[in-house]
Amino acid sequence: MSSLAELQELIERKYGIAPAQLDPQGSMRGSGIDSLALVEFIFEVEERFGITLQSDPDVDTLADLARLIDEQRAAKATASPA
Amino acid sequence: MIVVTGLGLVSPHGEDAQAVFEALCRGESAVHEVFRGELPRPAAAATVAFDETRWFTKLQLAGVDRVSQLAVAAAELAARDAALPEGVDPTRVGVFVGCGMGGGAAIENAYRIGVAGGRVPPLTIPAFMPNAPAAHVAIRQRAQGPVLSYAVACASSAVAIGEARHALRRGEIDVALAGGSEALIVPGVVAAWQAMQTLADFAADGPEAPQAAARACRPFAADRCGFVLGEGAGFLVLEPEAQALARGARVRGRLLGYGTSCDAAHLTKLDAAGQARALAAALRDAGLQPGDVGYCNAHGTATKIGDLVEAQALAQVFGQALPGLRVSSTKALHGHLLGAAGALEAIVTLLSLQQQRLPPNVHGAAVEPQCRLNLVQGRDTAAPGLQAAISSSFAFGGTNAVLAFGRA
Repeated sequence: MSSLAELQELIERKYGIAPAQLDPQGSMRGSGIDSLALVEFIFEVEERFGITLQSDPDVDTLADLARLIDEQRAAKATASPA
Repeated sequence: MIVVTGLGLVSPHGEDAQAVFEALCRGESAVHEVFRGELPRPAAAATVAFDETRWFTKLQLAGVDRVSQLAVAAAELAARDAALPEGVDPTRVGVFVGCGMGGGAAIENAYRIGVAGGRVPPLTIPAFMPNAPAAHVAIRQRAQGPVLSYAVACASSAVAIGEARHALRRGEIDVALAGGSEALIVPGVVAAWQAMQTLADFAADGPEAPQAAARACRPFAADRCGFVLGEGAGFLVLEPEAQALARGARVRGRLLGYGTSCDAAHLTKLDAAGQARALAAALRDAGLQPGDVGYCNAHGTATKIGDLVEAQALAQVFGQALPGLRVSSTKALHGHLLGAAGALEAIVTLLSLQQQRLPPNVHGAAVEPQCRLNLVQGRDTAAPGLQAAISSSFAFGGTNAVLAFGRA
């Protein structure tokens, strides 16, 4: 399962950027999501998914971020089986 | 000579400077009850109906507190009003901003969340730092010269305007955006002001409650009982006169003089001698005699002591000319904008000169007998021949600032 669709929905709701406007493989910074906005967005992502990303994750594309979140969610699911 | 070529404000009475002035001249109060049921005592304030999406994309709002949003909007309105030409050297543009406390909403939100053990938003610091409004104005206006913030409580933006004038006169810059912003209408800050016993009380129950809130602040009235808080931002564009005339700018007024002083006596107790020094310094700097000045937009916070002290200071400086000085405090109508008060009231003073009309001193049917001032009456707002006017701002901390303006 990929978190990409959920991220796209979150970005659309928070910043008004439709999924078609933001190439998952393109630079988020290049799309106007500067370092401050990214810090705020990652904070919200952590809240939403109940995970903790490293303090300065080295991500520049939405696909990178989705992959990181997928890894975290998978690790969390393994660590705390239902 | 330094002249004003642009005005911009985002105020409790709106964004159109002319309409704001008209509302003040009609004596319309923008004060209303806030936070009903949230605070131990009723609270009134004058708030701004502000649509931040007109000025920012959602992306641009990351870490931008309301105080900076208001500043960016007011500065942009001032820049548009000045119609600054293309080709101004950005390194010769300065930004001078008064702000008393910075981003009140951001810090209050962080405290609430943090104390409850929650996660504090990561951009809280850049949102609430007191120089954030100036920084955001600089970014929006691409001003690369001196970008400075003045935290001088209620005198902050009067000081910012005065210091901008100094920088222009020293030839350090060609254009200044000078003013202030404040946005502290959040429950914790209002409660802190209530705790200081400086805010006006009013009867918050019954059908007359809205009127009671609107009229809670009564400067120079016998039954005055304190001020009400306001929020907003105001900016002036200042330039040397020769430059303004050469580019065909519309001159809104002249910034003739600036006087500042410190009581150096007490943090919050006002001092007539200190205020008188600032008043006299402003007149001296402007080359004005007391009899030349026809209007004073007073600090006039409507506290029991404050209005008496201000009346004493005006009497000391104006002496025999005091009856010819018409006085009003517009804080009764727009509230006390604290760090932005000097800027908003400077704009009101400039419009008074331009319109040859004065906003009245309202809400005080019975005037404090010890304040022997020629208060502007509601039906007597015409001021034909008005050539010079002053705007006073006296701060907690003891700093006093007075700006003197002349008709264009």
